[in-house]
Amino acid sequence: MESGTDRVRFNVGGRIFETTATTLAGAGRQSMLGAVLDEDWNVRGAAAGEYFIDRNPACFAVLLDLLRTGELHLPPTIPEKLLCREALYYGLLDHVRAAKWSPLDGNRLQLARTVTGRAPGDGAAIRAGPDGGCCVAHGSMVHVYNWMLDELKPITLDYLRVNDAGYMDFDKIVVTASERPGRGDGGLGLFSSSTGELRHRFQVTHQNQFKSFTAGALTFDHAGRRIFASCKGRFNEYGIGVWDQVTGQQTDFFYELAGTGGDTVALGEADKLQWLEGNRCLMTATLFPKADHCFIGLLDFREKKVAWSWSDGGSIVPPDEKQVLAAVAMEEGGPCICVVNQYDDLGFLDLRGGAAGRSIRWNSRSRFMRGKMDGMDLCFPKLEVNDGQLFSSMNESISVFSGPEWVLTSRLSSSSGGSMSDISIAGDRLFALHSDENVFDVWETPPLPTM
Amino acid sequence: MNTPKKRNFKIEAFKHRVEVDPKYAEKTWKVLEHAIHEIYNHNASGLSFEELYRNAYNMVLHKFGDKLYSGLIATMTLHLKEISKSIEAAQGGLFLEELNRKWGEHNKALQMIRDILMYMDRTYVSNNNKTPVHELGLSLWREHIIHSENIRSRLLNMLLEQIYRERTGEVIDRGLMRNITKMLSDLGPSVYQEDFEKPFLEVSASFYSGESQQFIECCSCGEYLKKAERWLNEEMERVTHYLDPKSEPKITSVVEREMIANHMQRLVHMENSGLVDMLVNDRYEDLGRMYSLFRRVPDGLSTIRDVMTSHLREKGKQLVTDPERLRDPVDFVQHLLDEKDKYDKIIGSSFNNDKTFLNALTSSFEYFINLNGRAPEFISLYVDDKFRRGLRGVSEEDVEAVLDKVMTLFRYLQEKDVFEKYYKQHLAKRLLYGKTVSDDAERSLIVKLKTECGYQFTSKLEGMFTDLKTSQDTMQGFSAGQGPEAAGEGPAIVVQVLTTGSWPMQPSAACNLPAELLPVCERFRAYYLGTHTGRRLSWQTNMGTADLRVAFARNQRHELNVSTHQMCILMLFNSADRLGYREIEQATEIPAADLRRCLQSLACVKGKNVLRKEPMSKDVGDDDAFFVNDAFASKYYKVKIGTVAAQKDSEPEKQETRQRVEEDRKPQIEAAIVRIMKSRRVLDHNNVVAEVTRQLQSRFLPNPVVIKKRIESLIEREFLERDKADRKLYRYLA
Repeated sequence: MESGTDRVRFNVGGRIFETTATTLAGAGRQSMLGAVLDEDWNVRGAAAGEYFIDRNPACFAVLLDLLRTGELHLPPTIPEKLLCREALYYGLLDHVRAAKWSPLDGNRLQLARTVTGRAPGDGAAIRAGPDGGCCVAHGSMVHVYNWMLDELKPITLDYLRVNDAGYMDFDKIVVTASERPGRGDGGLGLFSSSTGELRHRFQVTHQNQFKSFTAGALTFDHAGRRIFASCKGRFNEYGIGVWDQVTGQQTDFFYELAGTGGDTVALGEADKLQWLEGNRCLMTATLFPKADHCFIGLLDFREKKVAWSWSDGGSIVPPDEKQVLAAVAMEEGGPCICVVNQYDDLGFLDLRGGAAGRSIRWNSRSRFMRGKMDGMDLCFPKLEVNDGQLFSSMNESISVFSGPEWVLTSRLSSSSGGSMSDISIAGDRLFALHSDENVFDVWETPPLPTM
Repeated sequence: MNTPKKRNFKIEAFKHRVEVDPKYAEKTWKVLEHAIHEIYNHNASGLSFEELYRNAYNMVLHKFGDKLYSGLIATMTLHLKEISKSIEAAQGGLFLEELNRKWGEHNKALQMIRDILMYMDRTYVSNNNKTPVHELGLSLWREHIIHSENIRSRLLNMLLEQIYRERTGEVIDRGLMRNITKMLSDLGPSVYQEDFEKPFLEVSASFYSGESQQFIECCSCGEYLKKAERWLNEEMERVTHYLDPKSEPKITSVVEREMIANHMQRLVHMENSGLVDMLVNDRYEDLGRMYSLFRRVPDGLSTIRDVMTSHLREKGKQLVTDPERLRDPVDFVQHLLDEKDKYDKIIGSSFNNDKTFLNALTSSFEYFINLNGRAPEFISLYVDDKFRRGLRGVSEEDVEAVLDKVMTLFRYLQEKDVFEKYYKQHLAKRLLYGKTVSDDAERSLIVKLKTECGYQFTSKLEGMFTDLKTSQDTMQGFSAGQGPEAAGEGPAIVVQVLTTGSWPMQPSAACNLPAELLPVCERFRAYYLGTHTGRRLSWQTNMGTADLRVAFARNQRHELNVSTHQMCILMLFNSADRLGYREIEQATEIPAADLRRCLQSLACVKGKNVLRKEPMSKDVGDDDAFFVNDAFASKYYKVKIGTVAAQKDSEPEKQETRQRVEEDRKPQIEAAIVRIMKSRRVLDHNNVVAEVTRQLQSRFLPNPVVIKKRIESLIEREFLERDKADRKLYRYLA
């Protein structure tokens, strides 16, 4: 090896590679290729002039190319799994993931994988993880997949019925489950996503007594390190529980309150919770109540009050009237809540206007499907928001709306699996769970071509 | 060949899965263990990184992660125990150096071990909730070195001793100190705090407590503060050189507490060198130091402020109540201004222009200026003096500066309406007699008063200026209309037409003007009333002046500058040589007091006595007779005859001014009450008083008793009524 130059020679599994220290520095000190150049290890002075590494040369070539160009080109002869294993050896897995897909853009999404599930039927929810992995809740189990879409050890909360799940961070999943009568179980558990082990159970105390309860919808305030979940107990414990992410202790509880006109606001039965960082409020939506009518509200936990609310008013709803079936709050632009009905019309509720904002402004321009109501396997629509784009799943496709006027710009559909029961976006991936066969689709935005 | 036997198929038992060499894990671990030993023994050059990395990878891959991890702990512990022994063996001052050296070696070794075990860190450690290699190495070091019995207290004592030596002036190895404290911080904030910072702060507190006791006994306040400042700086410097930056607020607060907070009162009140002494002698540097040091401790600044305020009030009170000072208003105001300048400078240069100090200064001045009821008059007199004399030949900026200073004093006044009254009188005289130095300066002050007190306050003052300007135009028009033939003969007059009400003088009876003047006066009256219909002109003969050309005996010619009254008297002597007092009084109809003064100034002032009086005496009697003084002589052609000043406002007259002010205040108070009640409809007594006081405080401070009287008067006149149920409540009657 010539001294004074930047050049480095490797012999990987018998093939000679020559590169520069600068290229290898791109791997970072926390990788094997970064450490090998550290002067402590005296590699450059090696007498043989080349440094032997006992690994697969074909994969090394791909990874070296990745370090040189930032792009990942996998020859068809190399399975992706193999490459990932080698990347893990060198400590370059993060580089591979970063090169595989770009920031999510609803109008450029491509179907990357379709993963077949195990149990048919009652897929409850799919949740995307921050690093590109996901978890699928159905029945009494949560199946966990890492970002390479390898299935890990599943999570069971003692085989209770799972209602919702969510990633606290890439390695921690919170699962909410129903209580079995008379057993004092149910509630919320924190699990390791990699091992499926239970790490913590979140408790609700009422008057210094632990209560058993059924936990429903779940959401996180990551900046404030809080967890919110709707809770149904036996007596007084209907409401929204709040726990600290660090200590795991209950820090607050928002009890149900008598709404206007004597009906109670069914917080304990909320179907969707969403933390609004800008408003410092929690959106709670109860859309399929047992007794009362639909309710969407913003809860202010500092002042313990409902800061804003909407309700469908208790009037008897004619069968063909528009019914709100899903809601999502959007903070970009004018803060508003977007809802969708059984005909797939989008509607908007302005959070700023006082009473004026409390009627739904249905957006007829974005009406994209009429009729077709005779399908057998109907799924309720779902909404998601990401970076100024709105995603709405209905039956077998996902519609993407963009711009301030929420114009329909793309429609995503895949052939198999039947209608979709849930969608979720995180880690720059969109996951869509189909109800029929528990198949889920993974949608990614491919990197932009450099040429 | 034999009969072919049936081919014998032998089915072999299904082989067990390929066993890994049972000693595989042991062997691999031996390689790694050996490498760790070599690394600690500085013998790593022979090691192959790739091989070690691959071995560690294989162990984790084949589920021997537990063995690898526990082996690592055991091996590192072994080495750390050895290291601990060698550090303990180090003698005296070498102890810290040995500790530092070993720490450096351990860090380097730890880095290399982490490189080898990188794969374990990434997979096994994170999946099993173990401590990563680097943190593990630190916590083992903490356990076996820093918290080992023989090292812990020795380390602390060494560190504290080094710092003590530096405080007492010795030079120590700061680099070494920095490395050791850095090590403690690297081991975790709690290690640094518990094993060093806490005892360090305790020792520092007792050190400074002792030092401060010793110094305060023998130093002056200034010297002590200098010392405290130096110590504070030294401690801050120490932090930047070799302590954790988070220690700075803690150690400085110790020094502040021990050096300043505990001795604050004693320092401020120190005899012959305390705060008052610094203020009196303008010791800006010491004051600045005191401010910046005291600012750091709770209640420090308020202590300074309180002492300054009480000193200032005491001194100001002496100033405004000293009867000597009251003799000369100009000097009185000048002293106030000097005092203000002095403190402005102190606050500006030593107290960082601190708002709270400026407020204290203002409130002190407000307090003592208003102790003297004549302050408004004096300030107006001061201005009068400046405009008449003081500002002559002074540049525009300097004039502005003087006026601004006057305005600051004016702001302190509570009785601004009294000032207004005096100012109006003084201004009127200046304007009518043309005594003012600069019209621009006059106007500038009025603008300042206007911004301070609003349009109403100055509207009459501005009216006075307007009158004079209009009069000039009128006179131009008048003399242009006269034509050249009229201008040539007879006396010329200049008339200033003053709006009634704008000017402070009371209308007085006009005297009889000499016959020579009557035609021209009549022409002016005709001209003026011809151009302005619906107006009434009356002559204020007591305010005018006249220039007379006089021919005395022996052909002495002089031009006399006299007042209108004096002119009327002198004109009488055109047709008579001798006139008695009563004759003059009858002919001119000048009010007696004025007449006596005019005659006094014509006949009794030496050098200007154009008349001769019989008998010769200072006072003018009813039976005195007057003659033209033919012996009058002056080396000037023009002679100005002054008017003997009336005796200064005598006590009863002052009472009257006071009364007039009080009288003027009544309608203002009533107007304020009505305004308030009109908008509030119902209000209780205390709130009415508070509100009225608030509304009027820009002009004067109304007396609550007076307000009560005004309320009663309004009730009588049925503007207000008392509430039937609650007698304290007033209701507005529309």
